[in-house]
Amino acid sequence: MIRAPLVPSASRALGHGFVAILLAAAPVLAQAADAVRGADVFDANCAECHSVAKTLKNKKGPSLFGVVGRTAGTVAGYEYSEAMHRAGFVWDAERLDAYLAHPKAVVPGDKMKFDGLDSREERADVIAFLDERK
Amino acid sequence: MNPAPASARLRRLFGGIALLAACLPLPGLALPSFARQTGEDCAACHVGAFGPQLTPHGQRFKLEGYAESNGDAPAVPLSGMVVASYTHTSADLSEAPGPHDGTNNNFSMQEASLFLGGRLAENLGAFVQATYSDIDRKAALDNVDVRYGKSTSLFGSEATVGLGVNNNPGIQDLWNTLPAWGFPYTGTELGPESAAAPLLAGALEHQVIGASAYGLWQDRWYTELGAYRSLSRGLLSDLGIGDEAGRISGLAPYWRVAYNRDLHSQAFSVGLVGLTARLQPDREPGQSNRYNDIGLDATYQYLGTRRHVFSVNASFIHEHQTLDAAYAADEAAAAGHSLDTLHLDASWYYDRTWGLTVGLFDTRGSRDTTLYAPEADVGSRTGKPDTRGSVLQADWTPFGKEGSWDSPWANVRLGLQYTAYSKFNGARHDYDGFGRSANDNNTLFAFVWTAF
Repeated sequence: MIRAPLVPSASRALGHGFVAILLAAAPVLAQAADAVRGADVFDANCAECHSVAKTLKNKKGPSLFGVVGRTAGTVAGYEYSEAMHRAGFVWDAERLDAYLAHPKAVVPGDKMKFDGLDSREERADVIAFLDERK
Repeated sequence: MNPAPASARLRRLFGGIALLAACLPLPGLALPSFARQTGEDCAACHVGAFGPQLTPHGQRFKLEGYAESNGDAPAVPLSGMVVASYTHTSADLSEAPGPHDGTNNNFSMQEASLFLGGRLAENLGAFVQATYSDIDRKAALDNVDVRYGKSTSLFGSEATVGLGVNNNPGIQDLWNTLPAWGFPYTGTELGPESAAAPLLAGALEHQVIGASAYGLWQDRWYTELGAYRSLSRGLLSDLGIGDEAGRISGLAPYWRVAYNRDLHSQAFSVGLVGLTARLQPDREPGQSNRYNDIGLDATYQYLGTRRHVFSVNASFIHEHQTLDAAYAADEAAAAGHSLDTLHLDASWYYDRTWGLTVGLFDTRGSRDTTLYAPEADVGSRTGKPDTRGSVLQADWTPFGKEGSWDSPWANVRLGLQYTAYSKFNGARHDYDGFGRSANDNNTLFAFVWTAF
């Protein structure tokens, strides 16, 4: 979603320095994530292989309940690929965004069969949704 | 599934031609053993949370040999299925379709099946069905599809390659356009059956064994090449299967190409398929009947968030027949014939629970008053096999979703299906030469279809 441009009167009142900060933040504001939309993105792209139920449920992919902030490859009972086992990183928003865009580029050799989400907005939305599921 | 006696009679008469109805069903379903193996719900792999219409996710599971799992301890790959039904035709049949049935308004525990369905080893899995038919009151080996599928890299791109063995040409297919898995996915076995259908529509089912190699490249390009040969009479008898098609002379080649796209929220495909066989009706060397089928098919699925799912399946099959054996036996007035069948169905499922499907079918063939002779209910006064009509089905599948009651151990579909004929075996009125009209065959079919 593209936000409205900064209001000119606000620019004058706040001075050029602060405006510069706001402008720098504009791309982030433009990507304001929506967890409700993210639930739809999840249903359309992820739900067949992943559960977000509070009760642990692994499908062909591991449970994604609580994935944001979790160390990769650590869901109990799920048989990860060797590549994911060795990944060792924590799933923060930035890592999830990169992974959802190009899974094989972030974890080469992993077994997830997903060719990626092209839309940055959709990735932000689904990450916001996952962030609520914990 | 075994054919009704009327169908069996006609098959013999025509020297092995498949005489299944234009919309004869071949029940199959979302096997709970697959769900137990993957940890996924029926709705992940099947449109409407019940088989056999596959989503792209289900197509991939089949492509990769029914072998993917969630890594839990191996589940017992066994499932069961029972179909109970009620059939009403607009006018009574002239004779009962089975020895234990009436000429109309039949309640039936139509069939009960046991499945070996799931992973046997890494990349290797099976879908093997044995069925007890309440109509024939006997059990027989039903559909068999054993396959090995493996992901790999080919010419620098991702690919899945595999090998499969099956006993029904088309049952290995990934899309729901060919007759083996086409709409309607279940239907009555106690109604009238039209006079002709192409070889691909089940003429060889369960009476042959075939092997094929297949590959999907770049998740887009699918190719498959295989061949079938007949099982021996003795083995068919041991398996409870009737010898109705005769023997394939040599091998019957089968091929398939398709272009497929899975765009996550929608998917489509377009493809070609072919099957050629020379059948010796009495299994004796000498003259045979040759059938050459070529089909064009296409699919579209709008999946979205899975709240509303729309799908369209279409197929056109052209068959060229050279019935030398039938002609020599005075069972056909000419050897050269053709048969064209068109099928189209469109469905909408809401919340993967409530479904509405409409299907159209149209069969047209060349005239032969000997091959298609008058006979009460199932014959043709005009010598034409032309049959046209539509099917409307409403169904309810309350389970099969994540968190459903007793998931993944049980599922059920309740449905109401109405088939209307505007032409049957060549005519609208008095089509059989015994005064029966096409719309006398209009059929109401209510069913309870369970899987566990």
